[in-house]
Formats: sequence, structure tokens, C-alpha cells
Amino acid sequence: MSMIERPYYSDYSSAPIQHQFSPYADNGGSVVAIAGDDFAVIAADTRLSAGFSIYTREQNKLFPLSDGTILGCAGCWCDTLTLTRILKSRMQMYQHEHNKTMSTTACAQMLSTLLYYKRFFPYYISNVMVGFDTEGKGCVYSYDPIGHCEKTNYKAGGSAGALLQPLLDNQIAHTNLDKVPKEPLTLEKALALLKDVFISAAERDIYTGDKVLINIITKDGIKEEAFDLRKD
Amino acid sequence: MASILCPDVPSPGFGFENCRRNALLENKGLAFPKAQKTGTTIVGITFKDGVILGADTRATEDTTVADKNSEKIHYLAPNMYCCGAGTAADTEMTTQMISSQLELHKLNTNRIARVCTANMMLKQYLFRYQGYIGAALILGGVDTEGSHLYMIYPHGSSDKLPYVTMGSGSLAAIAVFESRWRKDMDEEEGKQLVRDAIAAGIFNDLGSGSNVDLCIIKKGEVDYRRTYEEANKKGIKQGNYKYPKGATNILSTKVVEVEDVMVTRIEPERMDTA
Amino acid sequence: MSLAEICGLQDFDTFKSRNVYKNDLDSFCTNFNHNMQLGVPPFSNPAENLSRFTKDEMGREIKIKFDHGTTTLGFKYQGGIVLAVDSRATGGQFIGSQTMKKIVEINKYLLGTLAGGAADCVYWDRVLAKQCRMYELRNRERISVAAASKLMTNMIYNYKGMGLSIGMMIAGWDKRGPQLYYVDSEGLRTPGNVFSVGSGSIYAFGVLDSGYRWDLTDEEAYNLGRRAIYHATHRDAYSGGIVRVYHMKETGWEHIDNNDCNDLHYKYQEEKKVREEQGDA
Repeated sequence: MSMIERPYYSDYSSAPIQHQFSPYADNGGSVVAIAGDDFAVIAADTRLSAGFSIYTREQNKLFPLSDGTILGCAGCWCDTLTLTRILKSRMQMYQHEHNKTMSTTACAQMLSTLLYYKRFFPYYISNVMVGFDTEGKGCVYSYDPIGHCEKTNYKAGGSAGALLQPLLDNQIAHTNLDKVPKEPLTLEKALALLKDVFISAAERDIYTGDKVLINIITKDGIKEEAFDLRKD
Repeated sequence: MASILCPDVPSPGFGFENCRRNALLENKGLAFPKAQKTGTTIVGITFKDGVILGADTRATEDTTVADKNSEKIHYLAPNMYCCGAGTAADTEMTTQMISSQLELHKLNTNRIARVCTANMMLKQYLFRYQGYIGAALILGGVDTEGSHLYMIYPHGSSDKLPYVTMGSGSLAAIAVFESRWRKDMDEEEGKQLVRDAIAAGIFNDLGSGSNVDLCIIKKGEVDYRRTYEEANKKGIKQGNYKYPKGATNILSTKVVEVEDVMVTRIEPERMDTA
Repeated sequence: MSLAEICGLQDFDTFKSRNVYKNDLDSFCTNFNHNMQLGVPPFSNPAENLSRFTKDEMGREIKIKFDHGTTTLGFKYQGGIVLAVDSRATGGQFIGSQTMKKIVEINKYLLGTLAGGAADCVYWDRVLAKQCRMYELRNRERISVAAASKLMTNMIYNYKGMGLSIGMMIAGWDKRGPQLYYVDSEGLRTPGNVFSVGSGSIYAFGVLDSGYRWDLTDEEAYNLGRRAIYHATHRDAYSGGIVRVYHMKETGWEHIDNNDCNDLHYKYQEEKKVREEQGDA
């Protein structure tokens, strides 16, 4: 009858209370990436939170690894810091050893191996990477926490990932909409969709809000954009 | 012996039949659905002519916003209102029940119910259930004795204070009151202060959000301002999400021929209330 | 430093690494150079104890959900080996992907299927691919499937009980002909003719066992594999997406086709209707 047992009063009970340091935290945040034939865009909100409080309203969660590769991270912020620090130095080492920048495909594989190294004490991060593949087309790599990697065209990750992915399935892949003609995705459409899904996410997910930072990769390089969201 | 002709009168109050079963299921690892929490900022202040109650309008289920415009200032009596934080269903049912008891009390005594009566009813009811009714309340009203403001905890204790806040955003809101509340403020000042306190909760507490609701209670007069202010404007969509006609796949078709349709209109009869 | 000298510790400096920054970096990616050396968690028995650390300061549960793969099958017949898999990856109740590749092309004569933890299978398949290539370069001949599967089982046996979740089939063609092995994270390794692995395997086995013969033609074999996977996707919520069929031949593997299981559903339904009408007539 645990439902109607007496509640536990710490002042009057002698039972020991166990406290433990927690190496993980859920700092929330969402990342969405979309790739087309000649572009790749990635966006993340800028809210960093824990529990019911906001740490900051302007935390950039996008990490350019090179001129053509960007990583977006949502989840445990301390893990993100460590992971991106290692990635950054690895990128530098590669540059010095081979005298060229690492390709997006190589970056994607490296991240997978790096994540798997901590298989038994994983990084708690939702990773999404964008760039151009070997054929020069935009691509998105999405990861699970221990390094399973898949190449796709679009991905939503982080606290509102489960909320947004079905919307992207519908709007980009036209899942189960056989009769709707499939047009190639343009950058304008991708950007509009990106902003709209973040508006929706901010409505229903308490960990997504404040602002969206968007990074657009085209053959001309990386361009940045920002977009305001609700702040409650 | 219950039968269709002579049904058993159901026993009053809560049903506990499922507790044992639920405890067993929980031990087996079944996760129960979470009740909707109001994860809230609710506040109240006294001012020169009465009290002002304020609330945000977000209701959450874990980390998802379940209701973007929920009503958290509940009616108790013509001169009394009550803000609720905690489990949404508990605050609603508790205030509804006490409201009807207050109405009966008013009819019995032929007098306007006093705020301290409502406070006593609420705390005695909550204490009986030892905190299992998760309702944290702010009770405000004006009666013959003047204006009163109470905060009532789920376990059944209560405080009578000139300005109070409750819910997950209570810390953000009380900070505003501690710095700016004064005795005998006028109405405009009071409304602004309560708005600012709720806004502090809305913006700094993730459990609170959407709009500001206010309720100004003065002697013989109540001004309930639902959506006093829309603290956040929803973003404007850029895309068009209408599907072209015939987008849905047709899996199978069945045509039923309808012949000789007779339409008869039946005039509604008035209910017999004689 | 001076205290160390007084104490006669002249080689004190060697305690500290000369290259602090390099070592710091290496300690986070040891497996780049030593593929089999994964990071050691700061607690014992990670399979059980990791869950004790997955709460944040507020006591809220942190759900670390890995992608899992599900229905795979493989069988030997007169024409070689047919492998068929679905393509759904699930993280808890959430469908992470409907297009996952569950057959890993280790090299031209070796295929691995993956069921269980997706990252586990893909990572160790990659390590195996490297080792098989090294073997080829050292010995000037292809590695036997028996040896390859043994390398795999030995590698993952080192991590037994730590929470790896792998159920894979390794199919290949070597000197002794077509070979099919089943390897899992418990340490089991066994050759066989018919295997199916994953949560949908019970459904797949039902179809597979009733239709399996040694003397199937190629086309019949593909159909059998496809149908078995389709029926698994139909009944098992954790399986779905695309049905992929591969054929291991003497000349190496060949990718036969991909079919969306939704299309297969209507195709099979149509065939069933035709059969029923013929039965009536």
C-alpha cells in the first residue's frame, strides 16, 4: 500500500540518506540540420538550462570544425565542452600532419570513433554534423550517444528532437505522401522550414527558446543568421 | 445487494480500490503516466482597497507544455478567489468543492462568507490527506473584516501575509515583491507590481510561461482580467503547410448506394420540469 | 621539486609526463591507435552501475538511449548464402532511423549483419575489417570466415559483462566454400545453416523454417528472405523500414535489392487475393 503510506519526514526518521555526485546533467537545447544539393544548414537554439532554471539565453551550440564542416551539440554541456575541445585539437593535428583540412566524411567517422571510446561511460550529447560529402553534395550525419552514425539529409536532435523529426519527415521526405510531387529542396525553403520548426518547438518544449543561431554552408563558405524565439 | 433496479449508492470521497494493485504494478516496473502539473508562478498582494491575485498560464507535463493558456485563478465565492499551483486536477477539484461548500455556508448563514472560513476549510481538507492532494494555494478576498491574503501548503499549513508567491517561479516573483512592495499601494501600482512579479516567473522559471492573468478584488467588486498581458508573442510562420488536394493515399474504396432517403425532422421537446 | 631532491628522488620529473597536453588528448582517444582499447569507466561493472549515475542534480532521470537494430536473417543453400535485414533503428520507444544499414560490407568476401546495439556492431565490424585487411597483406591470402569470426568473438569477449549488446552473423566465401557464423556478445560463436537474430527473429524463423530447403533457386531464396523479414516487420514494432537482401557468391557478395516493407505489404496482399480467387475458381 505504498500509495497511502506515511510520507517521509527527514527530521523524524533515522534512515540514512544517500547523496551522490552526478556526472551528468541535462542542459537541454535542440539542433536541427537540413542538407540540399548545394547547401547544408544547421541551427540550434541558444538556451542553456537545468531543471527549471535558465543558465544563459545566448549559448552558441554550433561548432565549426573547418570551413566546410559544422557540428551541433545538445545535451550535457560539460560533455560537449570536452568533446569539442578534443575534436578541435584533433582537427589541428590532422592539418599539421597532412597539410590539408579534414573532409566532412573523415570528421564524421572520427566523431563516431571518439564517441565509442567512451562506450561504458558515454558522452550524453545529441550530435548532428553537416558538411559536404565526397560528391560535393550537402549532407547531414546524425549520431546516437555512443557513436552510431548515419548519413541523412535532415535530422532533429536534442530536447525537442522527438517533436520535430516527424515534421521534417513530412515536409522534406514527404513520408507517406506519394501523390505530392517531390521538388528538390531549395535553401530558401530549408531556411523557412528551419525557422518554423523552431517556433513550434519553443511553443511546446520548455528547454527550447530565446534565440536560434543558423549556420549556412554553401560553396562560398559559412554564413551566420539569427532568429528570435519566445523567451518564457 | 446491488442490482439494476436497486443500485448501490457509491461511497463518498476518494476511491482507494486500485492502490494495492497500482503499488504492485509499480514494483514490477510499470511507469505510471505523470499527472499534469501547473509548474507555476502564482502571487498575491494586498493593496489599499483590497487584494490582487496573479498567475501565469502554462501547464506542463514533465518537460512538455501541456496547456499554453490554462486558468489558474479559481472562483471560490463572489468576494474570494484562489490561485492554485501543483497538480492541476487537485487544485481544480479542491477549489471547486470548497466553492460549493462556501455557497452552502452563505445560504445557511445568510451572510457573505469570510476569507478565514475558506482558509480553515481548505487547510482542514488538505491536512486530512497528508500532502497527497498536491495543491499549493493562494487565497485572497475581501470581507466585512477587510482584505485578506493566505498561502496554503499541500500539507495543510497556512500563512496570512501581505504579499505572497507560490509555485516553481515563487523565488523569481518574491524577489520583485521584496524590493518593491509597500503598504497601501494604489490599484495601478499594485497591478503593475503583480504583473512584473508574474513576468519574472514567466521569463526566469521554465515551469511558468505564456500569459499573465490578474484578479483584482475590492469590496463589493471583482475585476477578473483573464490575459491581462500576453507576455510572449508567438513567432510568425513563414511556410505554407496546406496539403494539395488528394495528398492522402487511398488504400481501398467502398461505395454504398443510398436509395430513397427520407428526411424527417423531429422537433425537440421541452424537458418536463413540472 | 626541492623536497623531492632532498629525498633523493632525482628522476622525479619522469613521474610527470613531459607532454601533458598530448597525453591529455590521447587519454580521450586511445582507440584511434589501439582499436580494442576503450575508455575505462570510473566505476566497476558498467552494465549495472552506469544507471546509478544517470541522474542529474535535481534527481531527474537522464535517459541515455542507444540505437538498437532488430530483425536480421541469413541462411546457406545450394547457391551460397542469402542475408536479409530490415532497416529500423530504435532508441527506446523512439524510431531513430528507418534507413539504417544493417549489413556491413567488411570486404568483398565478407559481410556482417548487425542486431543489438548499432554502435557496438558497427564499431567492431570496422575493427574486424582492418584486421582482415592486415591478415591479407601479411599472408597474401584472404582470411577464412572461421578465422574472421573468431577474431570478432575474441575481441568482444574481452568486454563480456560490460554491457555490449551484439548479435551478428558473419557470412563469407573462402577456400572451403560458403560459411555462415553466428557471433554474440555473450561469447557464443557457432557455424550453422539458418540463423535469425533480433526481436523480430521469432516471426522470421516461422516463415524461414517453413520455406527453407537446401535446393532453393536463387530467386526463391531471395523471396524467402524478403518474405521472412517482411513478416517480422509486420508483427514486431521494433522492426520496419526497408528490406535489404544480399547474396554471398563465390565471386563475392552482391546486393540484390531494397524494398520498402510498405510496398511489400500491398504486393503480398495482392498476391494473396489472386491466389484466393484462383482457389475459388
